[in-house]
Amino acid sequence: MSVRLNPDLRNELVQYGIGDWNACYHCGTCTAMCPLSEEGFLFPRKKIRLMQMGLGDQLEASVEPWLCYYCGDCTTTCPRDANPGELMMSLRRFMTSRYDWTGLSKKFYTSEVWELAWIIFFAILVVLSFVIVLPSFGFHYTSELTADGGVKVNSFAPIRIIETFDWAMAIIVATLLMSNILRMYYAIIWKHTNTKVSLWVHIRELWLLIYNFMVQPKFSKCDSKGYWVSHWFLMSGYTIMFIVIVVFLPWFQTEEILPVYDPQRLLGYYATFGLLFGLFIAIVGRVKKKEVKFQFSHISDWLFLAMLTLTVITGILIHIFRINGMPMATYISYIAHMAILVPMILIEVPFSKWSHLAYRPFAVYIAQLKKNAVPR
Amino acid sequence: MEEPRIGVYVCWCGTNIAKMVDVEQVADEVSKLPHVTISKTYKYMCSDPGQELIIKDIRGHKLNRVVVAACSPRIHELTFRKAVEKAGINPYLFEMANIREQNSWVHTDRTEATSKALDLVVAAIRRVQYHEPLQKRSVNVDPATLVLGGGIAGMAAALEIANAGKQVYLVEKTDRLGGQVAKFDLTFPYLSSARQLIQPFIQRTENHPNIDLFLNTEIKEVTGYIGNFKSKVETAENGTIELNFGNIIVAVGLKPFNPTVISEYGYGQFPDVITSLEFEEMLSNGHLLTKYGKEPRNIAIIHCVGSRNKKYHEYCSRVCCMAALKFVHEIRACLSSANIFEIYADMRAYGKGHEEFYALTTHKQIIFLMYDQQESLPVIRQANRNDNCNMIIEMDEKLSGESIEVPVDMVVLMVNMEAHENVKEVVRAVGVSLCGNQFFIEKHPKLDPVATTTGGVFIVGSCQGPKDIPDSVAQARAAAARILASIAQGSVAVEVTTASVIEHLCCGCQTCIRVCPYDAISYNEEKQASEINEVLCKGCGTCGSACPAGAILSKHFTDTQILAEITGIMSMSYKGA
Repeated sequence: MSVRLNPDLRNELVQYGIGDWNACYHCGTCTAMCPLSEEGFLFPRKKIRLMQMGLGDQLEASVEPWLCYYCGDCTTTCPRDANPGELMMSLRRFMTSRYDWTGLSKKFYTSEVWELAWIIFFAILVVLSFVIVLPSFGFHYTSELTADGGVKVNSFAPIRIIETFDWAMAIIVATLLMSNILRMYYAIIWKHTNTKVSLWVHIRELWLLIYNFMVQPKFSKCDSKGYWVSHWFLMSGYTIMFIVIVVFLPWFQTEEILPVYDPQRLLGYYATFGLLFGLFIAIVGRVKKKEVKFQFSHISDWLFLAMLTLTVITGILIHIFRINGMPMATYISYIAHMAILVPMILIEVPFSKWSHLAYRPFAVYIAQLKKNAVPR
Repeated sequence: MEEPRIGVYVCWCGTNIAKMVDVEQVADEVSKLPHVTISKTYKYMCSDPGQELIIKDIRGHKLNRVVVAACSPRIHELTFRKAVEKAGINPYLFEMANIREQNSWVHTDRTEATSKALDLVVAAIRRVQYHEPLQKRSVNVDPATLVLGGGIAGMAAALEIANAGKQVYLVEKTDRLGGQVAKFDLTFPYLSSARQLIQPFIQRTENHPNIDLFLNTEIKEVTGYIGNFKSKVETAENGTIELNFGNIIVAVGLKPFNPTVISEYGYGQFPDVITSLEFEEMLSNGHLLTKYGKEPRNIAIIHCVGSRNKKYHEYCSRVCCMAALKFVHEIRACLSSANIFEIYADMRAYGKGHEEFYALTTHKQIIFLMYDQQESLPVIRQANRNDNCNMIIEMDEKLSGESIEVPVDMVVLMVNMEAHENVKEVVRAVGVSLCGNQFFIEKHPKLDPVATTTGGVFIVGSCQGPKDIPDSVAQARAAAARILASIAQGSVAVEVTTASVIEHLCCGCQTCIRVCPYDAISYNEEKQASEINEVLCKGCGTCGSACPAGAILSKHFTDTQILAEITGIMSMSYKGA
């Protein structure tokens, strides 16, 4: 079965950050150097070949780009300066947009204007909800303080409505992401192969999903500088915060000022620290550009870092203003927090950089399924 | 014959020989043999003091034969012959025994190596007793030169010789000068114009007072030998002219391979499958269009068409890879957004500036696709209406392991460069040999790359094998230098150790004539015996060993000399064992 070359694919690939896609002359040094490349899942060379030849379907059926954790050894040792590490990174962007059935991912990755416009659109919606919609339903901000001197945040941002909205947002995002994961699964396991995987294998290997989501063992395998640690803090901080906000909002968003050692505050402080630490390392790395993995930032990388940082900072401000009884400052911070958080979740998680939180562990799971595939 | 007085010199060659051979013992043993006047060892016989030692002994001890046991005669036979001559005896009254390459370097047992060295030295001593003085001979050189072929190599050689004030006869088969280079648009790797390169050359050649140009002319027969060749040429204006010349330069070039025989490519069947030379012409004319008059959106360039494939030609044509990359630059210059596919087997960028040229070209947004000659060739087929292209190339892409289809509108075949069909006529006329690929064979592939085994005949340019312009010009100028040197000398030395026929023993079977590789033997009907032209004879000895009547005498390799050598080799072994 032969496949048709698509010489125009390269024009599309360039938009995902692929620079000199033709510098590679296939010596294979990168694949030999790579600590994660293994029999049956060899990369980066072969994936670069598919890119050069414009074989989009073959790329779509590849799980390998997600198995690369970008240590940068390939780029350092490449005799042609072909930058295989960044080619793999760009390939992940391309694949994210291939999995996405809405076509929005492709739009966001290939056009900054589009991405910024949607972020601003959602931000304005959020601001309007707080300034016009909620007050029209009788919720307003009050300068009255609670008995212990805190801001009455729940009268401004009614906990039931916010919680419902959070759940709705989580469900939308999860649906989009899971549908794209299914497409990824279908492309890799079924669409372009003649093999099948038994149901039992699917169940047996499920633990890999949780394990890889929680620990990122592959990342630690190709990391010698401790970036795994900062990434893990960022990841755990984010996960805790997400769960707390979506599932336990009534417990988390209280008007009462709890003691410092209360689990609510301790958990919040840990998550904040984890996020700040991870973000600090990532931003400093990208500014200094010493490590290969930080040298070639796509606009989507910076956008994501900026939004997450602003979300964390506004979150901290809400907390400080609230416990110190500063109503107006609290309300403004809250609106700003939501105006950044909502577009970040809606755009970054299903369609852009943040989606890797799902694709990464699923890729390890799918790769394991592929190893156990039998002819159909 | 005067009483032989032999001097024997055993060389240590530093430790090269002395480490494995007891040189003192060898010298000591042979000193007891009859006719050996003196026998010595020395650290480096080839050094100036070593040679001085021989010269002093010849004079002091009145030696009339010398044996040196050292390295291979390939390396220092000439050195010692000259030393011997300097001391006043004939250089052929010398013999060398090789106790390094054939002994100390290859053996590990010192006792046995010493015994073998002794055998070899004794053989040389026995042989040298029967050596006869041979006289050096030379022939005068006619200062005119015949150049066959008016391509860039032929013109470069002709101009070099003509500029030195010597007469050149330049014979070109076609009606114009310039050869293959005149058909090119740009050259690699600097993308300079081929026309600008070749035009001044042509003009200078045409107008040079020392160059007689014969266009539309072929040489049918050349007679004579180095320094004194003769040939007749038919000219349109002046009828038959007889030319005399001392040297010949063969620069007949080559021709492009006809890809019709490769059915996979459909050349001749698909109008937009063209050869590299047809593409050059298209570029020179400035119209890069398909046969339907459209700009091609996808252009494939297939490498190694007829090259490196046992079915067609096994050798590499050397220039096509770079020419194919050159095409990329030329296509990009007029069709900036066309898709270009380089379908190659291996990318060869061996020359000066070539790797850099390759690196530069990879940034031209082209797609390299690799095929495996050993497995299968790409196959071109007609595209369907909805394919949105003219043709489809099906191939197994080696670097990805995928079977792919490449959409194309035009295919350029980088055709192999092969020898002319009529090259055998040139061979017959000038008496040189061809390799299996019908290219002329040089005298020595490394040390004498422009001379041939026939004295006075030189081969330059791509008739010796496919090559690019710089290599062709370099060869042409090298051959010109060789010829000018012989003209300046006025005469050239010819082989001394030739063969001769003992007429009364010759039975007239003419076996020698059939085996002689140099066409040096002819049959004299009157005398009923073979005759050897001692100018053409190279002394290879083939006739001598083939002659059933023992009627051929090879000078310096007479039966007596060889039998004496064998007797010498055997004598000591029996005694030693």
